[in-house]
Amino acid sequence: MTSDYKRFALTRAGQAVVVVLLAYVLTFLVISVLPGDAITNTLRDPQHGLSEEDIQRIVAFYGLDQPVIVQLLLSLGRFLTGELGFSLQSNLPVSQIVGDALPSTLTLATSALLIAIVFAVAIAYGAQYLPGKWAAIVRSIPSFFLSVPNFVIGLVLIEFFAFRLHSFTTTDPNSPVATLFAAVTLAIPVSAPLAEVLIASLDHESRQEYALVARSRGITEAKLFAKHLVKPSALPSVAMVALIVGELLGGSVITETIFGRDGIGTVVQKAVTGEDQPVLQAVVSLSAVVFVAVNLVADLASPLLDPRVKLREKVGA
Amino acid sequence: MTATLGYTQLRNVGTASKKLTAGLPPVTVILSFAVVLLVILWSLFPGFFTSFSPVTGDTASKLAAPSAAHWFGTDYLGRDQYARVVYGTASSVTSALVAVLIGLIVGSIIGLASGFRGGWLDSVLGRFVDVLLAIPGFLLAVVIVSSLGFQTINAAIATGVSAVAVFARLMRAEVMRVRSATYVEASYLEGGNRLHALLGHILPNAYRSVLVLAVLQFGTSILIIASLAFLGYGDPPPASDWGLLVASGKTYVTAPWLVYAPALVIVVTVLSVNRISRWLRKAK
Repeated sequence: MTSDYKRFALTRAGQAVVVVLLAYVLTFLVISVLPGDAITNTLRDPQHGLSEEDIQRIVAFYGLDQPVIVQLLLSLGRFLTGELGFSLQSNLPVSQIVGDALPSTLTLATSALLIAIVFAVAIAYGAQYLPGKWAAIVRSIPSFFLSVPNFVIGLVLIEFFAFRLHSFTTTDPNSPVATLFAAVTLAIPVSAPLAEVLIASLDHESRQEYALVARSRGITEAKLFAKHLVKPSALPSVAMVALIVGELLGGSVITETIFGRDGIGTVVQKAVTGEDQPVLQAVVSLSAVVFVAVNLVADLASPLLDPRVKLREKVGA
Repeated sequence: MTATLGYTQLRNVGTASKKLTAGLPPVTVILSFAVVLLVILWSLFPGFFTSFSPVTGDTASKLAAPSAAHWFGTDYLGRDQYARVVYGTASSVTSALVAVLIGLIVGSIIGLASGFRGGWLDSVLGRFVDVLLAIPGFLLAVVIVSSLGFQTINAAIATGVSAVAVFARLMRAEVMRVRSATYVEASYLEGGNRLHALLGHILPNAYRSVLVLAVLQFGTSILIIASLAFLGYGDPPPASDWGLLVASGKTYVTAPWLVYAPALVIVVTVLSVNRISRWLRKAK
């Protein structure tokens, strides 16, 4: 660890903290554009079955009778100590709601990420090594994947695999097969940008001199791909990890709705329909935390993975 | 192995020379322009393309399969699905346009200001853009639309705001690239001011890459707005935004065309827009 790297790491970490705090403030301001009545309307909605005492407690807890700036500071202070507040709909702690929904979304997102990587590598390999015409077709797959809405993919998969082939039933959305199809739905739009980056860097790497030298020594293309090209071609995609995490989180709203899974996406949807501000605030700021953290790790790792990355440039950027 | 090498090299030379000689864009690009033109005409003159009403239907012929009379079949009220798609185009496509304009204008102003002024303004705006990027785009759009109210125009605003960051980044990068170019320095030396550098050099140079991004973002916005409409965050029925049509069609399992027809229209439109964007990027 050079002192240069330490300084770079500290600057980056500091920036990350600032970005998370500002994201919290921005979300809070956007959500507070809602007229004040809406909150009390939500609270007084008989559907939620909150007693008058509960309502008074919640109003006092969030400082809803005070100016927005006071509410913001109150809420931000609690966020810093890890306190996420209570749902306006169910009166349950937000941390409990998020905690209950998290495993389902984590399973979905992790499987989707793995599937997306497999798809992307397969597409990139095909684009590089299939004969002319086929390669051209394979090269257009990412663009096609980017043009199909998530919900259409999900509906088509359900139509064919659940209704026609009976591979799974939508009544049991957490079965392994149903999870697999939900993950494929989420993976397809995510695999597209990944495949594009892989294709571009594979094109670049396979023209480098070390690849020529390896070929001249009689290495097979498959071996060249596996032993020499994969690693340097995958490096640029490390920078995309954060982007992909964002896609996975956003896409889970639609995917979970279609497949009827109970996860973070469903929590978001319920919070939106029920104008449940504390829940929305928590989920959005936690996604920002995840995004920023992943980005930070990718940033800190890239000079270690690739010595050619210059620290000075990264700090200035 | 030399054969493989020779082949790839030849192929590269081939495409390069083709680009120089070809006068017309590739067939797929021409088709894409045709699709986009049709979609624009649908949104401007829907009545010209169908004689059916998108709002009232003939209940006697409800949930009918696609036929010569009803190209995309009919829905549960006997309304012609093709008419609903055509009449839904205006709000589906116009809102995407609004979204791109918001992203383009706000993003460009931020990018220009930060690239031009530099210093503290650059740091402040840079952090602001980081913050916008830190919240997953779709979640940000969902939060904004839930705060503004469930209407298509609000979905468009939300989508536009979530696109501000990418435009700001690109514009800043373009300004930085051009700002230090010798010819811009020369124009300062000749007594040109910043406004002159902006209008005369920076904008004309940045215009191409910004245009490519705007077209790409147009396709993405159609998708995001369709997704928001699908979740029910756009105008309520009887509006017929494409995403809403898919959402209401999925209830009728026996009438899959109610889902597939609008879904196909979305896919073909976005595919065409993306193709045009890629062509613009290559032609650069």
